[in-house]
Amino acid sequence: MTSLHDNASELAQLRNGDEAAFARLVRAHHRALLALARPIVGESEAAEVVQIAWIKAHAALKDFEGRSALRTWLSRIVINEARMMLRQRKREVFLEDMQAEAPGPLVDRFRSDGHWSVPPVNWHADSPDSLLTREELADCLAALLDSLPSNQRALLELRDSDGMPFDEVCNMLGVSASNARVLLHRARSRLFALVDHFEETGEC
Amino acid sequence: MLKCRDVPAEAEALLDGELSLGRRVALRFHLFMCGNCRRYLGQLRLLLGAVPQMHGQASDEEVDQVLKRLHDHSH
Repeated sequence: MTSLHDNASELAQLRNGDEAAFARLVRAHHRALLALARPIVGESEAAEVVQIAWIKAHAALKDFEGRSALRTWLSRIVINEARMMLRQRKREVFLEDMQAEAPGPLVDRFRSDGHWSVPPVNWHADSPDSLLTREELADCLAALLDSLPSNQRALLELRDSDGMPFDEVCNMLGVSASNARVLLHRARSRLFALVDHFEETGEC
Repeated sequence: MLKCRDVPAEAEALLDGELSLGRRVALRFHLFMCGNCRRYLGQLRLLLGAVPQMHGQASDEEVDQVLKRLHDHSH
């Protein structure tokens, strides 16, 4: 399974240009990088942006210093490529309106006195890995991610999937910190509500 | 006093490392009293830990395609 924790011997192999290690890197992160590029440049251009990012990453790996996780480093390259592509096409960032609208999905789970009316159920999973081992739930989550507004998706991908620091995420996406917090909260709450519902009913 | 309704946002700020000492103490006090909110925080932590892995691994075809373009590019 992929993780944000990089293994030292794997890193050494990557820096030495080991092609098998590079293939493992692609296998581990390619889909997450596509998911990052999609809300920014759109479905049709995401694959090309990520492909160019892999070519640049391959050339730059020997200089990778390990100051951030590889996944975060790769996501920076993808974002830079995505922005360059948008500039070449004279397009704006593909994100929907960054303003936050309607209340989040958890608000109707509280009574007027502020206590839970529908508290979270007890989830069966006891680790991140075990949460995703149930294929139906993984499919439900993938479908939800696809359905999120692009601004929420981009924030969730950069912050929670790629581990980029919050300030840098705001900078990269050109969004204020207060808006980013609201949007990220909305995305996370929808994921939480989905898993909670799945744990209770076995359905999305 | 912190209400359960405030906990989702406070829990995220805690996990993001953005909670001041005062707000951290208020949250800890609430969690000490409230099992539902303890469960919420624990499960939110689990969920956010799973997000980096949510997209799964690329297929052989996807990996081969990336490597082929890389190879074409360098020759």
